[in-house]
Amino acid sequence: MSEDIRLQVSHISKTFGITKALKDVSFNINKGEVHALIGENGSGKSTLTNMLTGIYPMESGTFTLDGVQIHPKNQVDANNLGVSIIVQELGTLSGLTVAENIFLGHEDRFMKFGFRNTHAMNAEADRLLQRYGFNNIKASNMVDDYNFEDRKLVEIVKATYFNPKIVVIDETTTALSQEGREVLYKQMEAIRAAGNTVIFISHDLPEVIAKSQTITILRDGVYIDTIKSADVTEDQLKKLMVGREVTGDYYRSDYGEKISEEVVLSVRHVTVPGIIEDVSFDLHKGEILGFGGLSESGMHEVGKAIFGASYDREGEVKLQDGTAINDIPTAIKHSVAYTSKDRDNESVVINQSIRDNVALPSLDRLTYGSSRFLSWPRIKEFAQKFAHEMSVKMVNTDQFVSELSGGNKQKVVLARWIGRGSDIVVLDSPTRGIDIKVKQDIYQLMNRMRQEGKSIIMISEELMELIGMCDRIIIMKDGKISGEAPRSRELDENSLISMMV
Amino acid sequence: MIDRFNQLSGANKGYIVLTALVFLSWLIFKILTPDNFGSPSNLVAYFQASLITTVGAIGFYFVMDMGMFDFSIGANIILSAIVGCQLATNFDLGYAGLILGSIATGALVGLCNGFFYVKLRIPSMIVTAGLALIYESIANYMAGGVEQTLPSSLRAFGQMPGNIILAIVTFIIAYVVLNYTKFGTYTYAIGSDEFVAKNMGINVDKFKVLAFILSGAFFGAMAVLTISYGSSMVAVTGMASMSRNFIPTMGCFFGLAFMKYGIPLQAIILGEFIVNIIFFGFISLGAPTAIQDVITGFALLIIITLTTKVTKGEIVK
Repeated sequence: MSEDIRLQVSHISKTFGITKALKDVSFNINKGEVHALIGENGSGKSTLTNMLTGIYPMESGTFTLDGVQIHPKNQVDANNLGVSIIVQELGTLSGLTVAENIFLGHEDRFMKFGFRNTHAMNAEADRLLQRYGFNNIKASNMVDDYNFEDRKLVEIVKATYFNPKIVVIDETTTALSQEGREVLYKQMEAIRAAGNTVIFISHDLPEVIAKSQTITILRDGVYIDTIKSADVTEDQLKKLMVGREVTGDYYRSDYGEKISEEVVLSVRHVTVPGIIEDVSFDLHKGEILGFGGLSESGMHEVGKAIFGASYDREGEVKLQDGTAINDIPTAIKHSVAYTSKDRDNESVVINQSIRDNVALPSLDRLTYGSSRFLSWPRIKEFAQKFAHEMSVKMVNTDQFVSELSGGNKQKVVLARWIGRGSDIVVLDSPTRGIDIKVKQDIYQLMNRMRQEGKSIIMISEELMELIGMCDRIIIMKDGKISGEAPRSRELDENSLISMMV
Repeated sequence: MIDRFNQLSGANKGYIVLTALVFLSWLIFKILTPDNFGSPSNLVAYFQASLITTVGAIGFYFVMDMGMFDFSIGANIILSAIVGCQLATNFDLGYAGLILGSIATGALVGLCNGFFYVKLRIPSMIVTAGLALIYESIANYMAGGVEQTLPSSLRAFGQMPGNIILAIVTFIIAYVVLNYTKFGTYTYAIGSDEFVAKNMGINVDKFKVLAFILSGAFFGAMAVLTISYGSSMVAVTGMASMSRNFIPTMGCFFGLAFMKYGIPLQAIILGEFIVNIIFFGFISLGAPTAIQDVITGFALLIIITLTTKVTKGEIVK
């Protein structure tokens, strides 16, 4: 074994239900480097680092840190072994002070006879905050007194103050302003300079190339390659991430088809305070209209606004026949469907059967004759028909949705709206965390729906699929529309990114 | 003015809001019934009465800030008071029997609550409601259906300074536990995000049981104050003990609402004071019980609505 190797990842596999999140992944990570881990959503990056840091239990395979096998039982255990993580979401706990957050699980050094020397703990936390230059944060204050960005800074201290051998930074930069990013980059550099290692997960490829020395690519839970950042271009990385040349039957293959003149939905001056501002556009019959942008650009709110699910929305959403959509029941009644980005919480009813999930918005039609009594034979038949049409991988429609993989859950959601016969379908991140095979099914389904004259709004953080599927792409930035691009063979990600940032 | 207020530290904001509420609740009744309400000596009496429930509310806070609930508060107080009273009188153990017996019984009830909640994995509300019936029956059996009276020679905790001393001791214990032990931090951590807490190596089940035990012991102390103040205790059955749950729970809501300002215990003490001002205000008004209950119910809803902020679209259960 070479002197420089810090961590050997060997034969790591992990399954969630029937989803194989990681398949026999092996590679090495060196000392004194920023090692980027990249891949599309659902490629297994976070699963791998969550196992390394004790958040998920290990399944098969080993992590060898400086020649010793490690099996962290939880995050504190991982810290003690020299591994820490800064997570994507909020990692600090409300109701605790800044100091309590920093030392959570590590209070023993301040304990004497069962009592904690809170004063000494606060003083130590203040000393650390000073050392990092975060002078505006006070250790004894409640962490709730600080905004998201400052709380991220507290997490940086929490994850790095004890000089861990490996610090995992999981898509933290997207949540930070430029200033916050610079602070983080400085810390990454300091860790590297001290001979320790950063595992850096980011979707921002220019950032990855600029800030890392080595890059490992994962795709659908499989290890693809490890390369030097200096030797690679963004385009090469993308190709490694997606894994294949995009062909006709993956995305749409048609170009130059004329979009119908018929406007089925018009959105005028829609504002949701603090999220989107003065958004106006038209959706045409048989059109796939894409929305792209950074995750916080407001594009996800556009979907909710159209469906009447936004709070305090201003402006106008009108259908062809003049119906104004201001609430969800009106939207559903007039054939508008919506699938949320947050599939588990906002789209499927996890602890219900596939049958119930598919039939839910159509129950008013599945009754005995014109009575109000539900007809279970009709419901069953209905669910079966549309679940099969969507080729949901299942035992039968009685199976609970909680047992399905992400891709199949999404198919259940789509079956629901297709069964309802919706003409306008708003899909927010429809392929998020879904493997390539199911992605292809969903793209093909969207293409069929389009040909049947249905109109689709597709909101996605993955520019490639927008380029591959949409008739038009609207780009959002800071809550406003910042540009629009029509479908063409020449359209590439760079021209869209330039409108995003 | 508002800008200035916003610049204050969290704790100061909390104190200002609470003091304003104390003043406001006093002022309303002082205007309505100026003669027999709200003199300085009246207020001292209201405060003393509020100490009884405050002791329970502070204990309950350890359970509630973890996101759990307890419907057996009243049953616990009745059972603990009866055990304490019997040890003090029938077994001639005096004050030691009263205090240690009540507190140990309370803690034992807490242990039962915690144990069954953790082992059965059903919501704490249901577990404690079911167990409350059992505690009530045990108390009733022990009392033999007869009202248990504490002789006047053993009622030092029913008046000054005994009640204040016992209350202050419990406050200090709660304060130290919350701020100077791991347990305090872990209760917040578990209440904030159980999954993250587990990942930090915290034995969540253990701390949940501990919270119930501690909370039970505080209810035991509340039982001492209750029977000393009221001189006797009837072992009611059929969930009738539930009526004793209300006031400690209300104080506890104050604690939760002011948790974000970092002054939960202080908020519980002042909160219970406010609740008692309102209660005694109604009594001075001579309002019928039914109307008192209606208004108290609304007051609770208003206070909680004003003090807790729910994010738009957040699901509340």
